[in-house]
Amino acid sequence: MLRRAQTDALRGSLDLLVFKTLSLEPMHGWGISQRVQQISDGVLEVNQGSLYPALQRLEKSGLVASDWGTSDNNRRARYYRLTASGRRALNAELESWRRFSAGLEAVLSTA
Amino acid sequence: MSWLDGAHGRLALLRSRKDADERFASEIRFHIDMETARLQREEGIESGEARRRALVAFGGVERHKEALRQGRGLRWLGGMSLDFRLGFRMLVKYPGLTIVGGLAMAFGIWVGAVTFELATLVAHPTLPLPGGDRVVLLRNWDASASREEPRALNDFLGWRQTLKSVTDVGAYRDVSLNLTSPDGDVRTAATAEITANAFRIAPTAPLMGRVLVPDDERAGAPPVVVLGYDVWRTRFGSDSHVVGRTVPLGETYATVVGVMPKGFGFPVSHELWTPFRPELYDQAPRAGPPIAIFGRLAPGVTLESARAELTALGQRAARDRPITHEHLQPQVGRYAYQFYEPGLSERATMFAINGFAIMLIVLVCSNVALLLFARAATRESELTVRSALGASRGRIVLQLFTEALVLGGVATAVGLAAARFGLSRWGEEFLRVNTGRLPFWFNPHLSPATVLYAIGLAVLGAAIAGVMPALKVTRGLGARLRQGTAGGGLRFGGVWTAVIITQVAATVAFPAIVMLEQRELVRIRSLDVGFAADEYLAAGLEVDVPADSATARVQSARLGASLEEMRRRVAAEPGVVGVTFADRLPRMGHPERRIEMDGSTLREVAMASIDPSYFEVLGAPILAGRSFNTGDLVPDGRAVIVDRGFVDQVLAGRNAIGRRFRFEVNPQSDQRAAEEPRPWYEIVGVVKELGMGGATERGRASGVYFPAALGSSSEAQMIVHGRGDPTTLGPRVRAIASAVDPTLRVADVQRLDKVTDPILWAIALWLRLTVLLTAIALLLSLAGIYAVLSFTVARRTREIGVRVALGASRRRVVTAIFRRPLTQVGLGVVAGTVLIAAGTVAVSGWVPDQGIDLGAAGLSLGQVALLMAYSVLMLGVCLLACVVPTRRALRVEPTEALRTE
Repeated sequence: MLRRAQTDALRGSLDLLVFKTLSLEPMHGWGISQRVQQISDGVLEVNQGSLYPALQRLEKSGLVASDWGTSDNNRRARYYRLTASGRRALNAELESWRRFSAGLEAVLSTA
Repeated sequence: MSWLDGAHGRLALLRSRKDADERFASEIRFHIDMETARLQREEGIESGEARRRALVAFGGVERHKEALRQGRGLRWLGGMSLDFRLGFRMLVKYPGLTIVGGLAMAFGIWVGAVTFELATLVAHPTLPLPGGDRVVLLRNWDASASREEPRALNDFLGWRQTLKSVTDVGAYRDVSLNLTSPDGDVRTAATAEITANAFRIAPTAPLMGRVLVPDDERAGAPPVVVLGYDVWRTRFGSDSHVVGRTVPLGETYATVVGVMPKGFGFPVSHELWTPFRPELYDQAPRAGPPIAIFGRLAPGVTLESARAELTALGQRAARDRPITHEHLQPQVGRYAYQFYEPGLSERATMFAINGFAIMLIVLVCSNVALLLFARAATRESELTVRSALGASRGRIVLQLFTEALVLGGVATAVGLAAARFGLSRWGEEFLRVNTGRLPFWFNPHLSPATVLYAIGLAVLGAAIAGVMPALKVTRGLGARLRQGTAGGGLRFGGVWTAVIITQVAATVAFPAIVMLEQRELVRIRSLDVGFAADEYLAAGLEVDVPADSATARVQSARLGASLEEMRRRVAAEPGVVGVTFADRLPRMGHPERRIEMDGSTLREVAMASIDPSYFEVLGAPILAGRSFNTGDLVPDGRAVIVDRGFVDQVLAGRNAIGRRFRFEVNPQSDQRAAEEPRPWYEIVGVVKELGMGGATERGRASGVYFPAALGSSSEAQMIVHGRGDPTTLGPRVRAIASAVDPTLRVADVQRLDKVTDPILWAIALWLRLTVLLTAIALLLSLAGIYAVLSFTVARRTREIGVRVALGASRRRVVTAIFRRPLTQVGLGVVAGTVLIAAGTVAVSGWVPDQGIDLGAAGLSLGQVALLMAYSVLMLGVCLLACVVPTRRALRVEPTEALRTE
C-alpha cells in the first residue's frame, strides 16, 4: 500500500515538474531532465531514463505533444510541448497541490 | 480538443512499432550524448568515463526501452500482424492448398450461411416495417371446431371501437380480381380490399399519386385502386401518366390513384389495393366475408396485456351472445408469425438444420486440418527453430491458428459472396416452392446476423483446421530439439487415416445420392400419364365463394353457365380438338380417402371430379363397362368409374363392374358428420390409369372418378386439346374467359406436361448441390492423399535411398510406398459401398406397403454396376494422386539420400 502511494505521489510530482518545465518553452528530453533536477534540487531522485516512459504516457493521453526539432548544438532532437489540455491539467494540478499544501501547512502550524 | 489531442498522440505512437522504436532509440542516444558532453564540460571527466556515468545515470537503456514498448500496449497485436502477414504469404506460397482448402471451407461457410439465413427467416420472421415487432394480427378462434373463424366483420367493427391496447385496428379481405390492362389483356391480380389505416401500419410513400385514405371508404365514394410496382411495370408498361386513368377491375371500373414502390406487398403479397367498405357486407355476427384483422400495440402495451384485454372481450361476448360467440376466443399474435408459429419441434428442426451445417464445417475443416498438418510437418524445422529461440508452444499454436484464420477469412469472403448470389438467385423461388405464397417480409438476403454467424463459423473452422494440427506438430517439440534431429518424430496417426477413409467413403457414397436424385428426375419427367400431355393446355378457372348459401347457389349456377359458354367458344376456336373440365390435373396429386367395399376392405383411393367428356377428350378408352353420361349428373347420382390401378390393387384384378363401395367414417370429423349417411357408390366403368398419383408419389394410385356438373365447385381446371403447340391457345383462352364473365379468374395457363415443373426444379437444385458436395469431397480426398503421401515419401527418402542402394527392385520400393494409401483408399471404397447398401435398404424401407418391388425405390442392377465402376475409377484417381510423390521417391539418388542426415 505504502509503496503504491509513494509511486503514485512520485509519478504525480514528476508529471507536475514536466508540465511546469514545458509550460515555459518546448524542450527535449535531456533538457527536461536537467530542469527537473535543478528545480527539485536533487530531492526527486529518479534515474533519467524513467523520464521517457513518463513522457510517452503523457503523450498518449494527449497532455503533451512532440515534434522533431534542432537542438542548440545543431543536432536532431525530439521537442516536447504542452498541449491545451496539458495546460489545463497543469493548472488543475497546481490548484489541487496548493490546496493540499495549504491544508497541510494549516494542520502543521496549529499542531 | 482534449479528445483530439489524445487521439492524435495515441495514433502517432501506434503508427508503427518500428518507427516508435527508432524514435525513442534516437532520443535516448541524444540524451546520453548530451549528458556525456555535459559531464565532460562541467566536471572535466574524460569522454569514456563520462559516457559510462551518463549511462549509469540513465539507468539501463534496454530496461527503459522495454518499458517504453510495454507502455505502447498492444504488443501481442504486433506479433499477430506478423502472423497475419505470414498467413497471407503461405496462401500464395502453397496455391494448391489455398485453392483446395479455401474452396472446401468456402463451401462449408456457404452452406452454413444459407441454411442459417433461411432457418432464421422461417423461425424468427421480422416485419421490415417501422416498429414491425409491434404489429399484430387479431382473429377469432373457434374452440369447438379447432379452427379460425374468419367471418369476423362484426367483431372487427366492435374491436375497432373498444380496443384500448391495440390501435390502428384495420382489416382486409383477400380477393383475386381480374385487371384489364390498356392492351386488353386480362389477368388476375392478388388484391387486398383494405382499410386505409393499413398505410399507417406500413407507412410507405407511394411512387406516384397517393395511397388509400379514409374518405375512399365512405358510402358512394368513387371506386379507386392503388397499383403495385410489378403490376404497374408489367401491365401498364411503367406508364408515368397512369394516375387518374380508369381501368376495368373485376365487375366494375376503378380509377388508379397511386402506384406503390417496388417491394411493397402489405398485408401479405398483394399487388392491388382497393378500399374496404364494411357497409357492403352482411355485418351480423359470424356472417359476411372472411377477413383478416391487424393493428398495432398501443405505446407501452405488451402482447400479454393485449391478450388479456381480448380474452376479457371474448368472455363478455360469449356471455352476451352465446348463440354465435359461445366457442369463439379472440386471439392476438405477432403479425410476422401469422403463417408459421414455430413450436418446440420446429425449433428443434431449426437447431438440427443449423447443427448439420456446423457438422459439415467441422468435417470439412478436419480435412483441411489434414492438409495443414502436412504443411506444418514440412515446416517442422522452422517451428523447431522458433521454439529454440524461445517461442512458447502457445505462441506457435497461435501462429498456425492465425494462418488458418487467414485461409478461413478468404474462404468466408468467397462463401458469403456465393451465399449472397445464391440467395438472391434461388432463395425466393426455393421458399415459394416449399411454402406456396411468399409474404413480403420473407426476403432472403444476407442479414448482419448471418454475416456474423459466418464469421463465427470461419473462426470455428480455423480453430479446427489450425489448432488441431498445431497441437500435434508442437507436441514433443522440445524433446525433438534435445535429440537434435529435425525429422522422424512426426507421423500420420490413426486420426488422419480415419479422416482419409471417411473422405473416400463420402466420395464413393455421394454419387449414389446423385444417381437417386437423377433417377427421380428421370422418373418424374418420363411418367406415363396415359395420354399425350404435351398436346393439352390447362387453365385454372375460379370465382369467389360467397359466404351465404343462397348466393352460393346463384353463383354456382352462374359459374356453370359461364363454363359451359367457355367450352362452346373455346371448342369453336381453330386448332381446338376438344375441351373438358376436372377439379385437378393429372399428376397434381389428388385428395385421398379410405373406402370400404362390400366386404370390409379398407383401402386408400385417390379421387377426382370430372366432366363426363373427360375420358373422351383425353383419348382414354373405357376398358370395361360404360363411360359417364349427362344422366349421371343428377344430385343423387352414385355412378363412379375406377382406373386399372384400382382394379389391380383394391380388387386384385377381379371384375369391377357393379361392385359398390362407400367412404370410411372420418375419425377426425365431429359428431354430426359421423351421423351423416354414407351412400354406396357403384362402379360402372373401368379406364386406364391417367396420372391420379402425385409426381413425387411412388407406386400406383387407385383412382376413382366422380362425375361433376360444371360450376359445382368454385374452381375448375379447363383442359383444351389442341393441334400443334397448345400454348398458342393461351391468350385466346384468357380473352374468351374475360369476355364470357369478367369475374372469372384465369390462373396457371400451362401445357399439361408442365404441371410437375416446380418439383423438377427443386429436385434439380438438390441435384446440383449434391454434385457440388461430391466434387468438393473428391477434391479434398485427392489433396489429402497427395499431401500425406508426399509427406511420407519425403520422410522416407533415406530409407528409399538405402533400399535402392542395396539393390531393391523398383517394384518392391513402389509396393512399400503404396501399401498404406492403397489400404486407406480400399477401406474408404468399402465403407462407401456399405453406406450405399445401407442407404438403399433404408430408402426401400420408406416405401409404404403397397406391393411395390423394393428394387424400384433403390437402385437398379445397372446402376449398382455403374457405381462399382465408379468406385474402381475412384481408386484409380486416388492412386493417381500418389504418382507424383512416388516418382519423386524413385528419382532419389542413393548417395543423396544418405547425405540428407
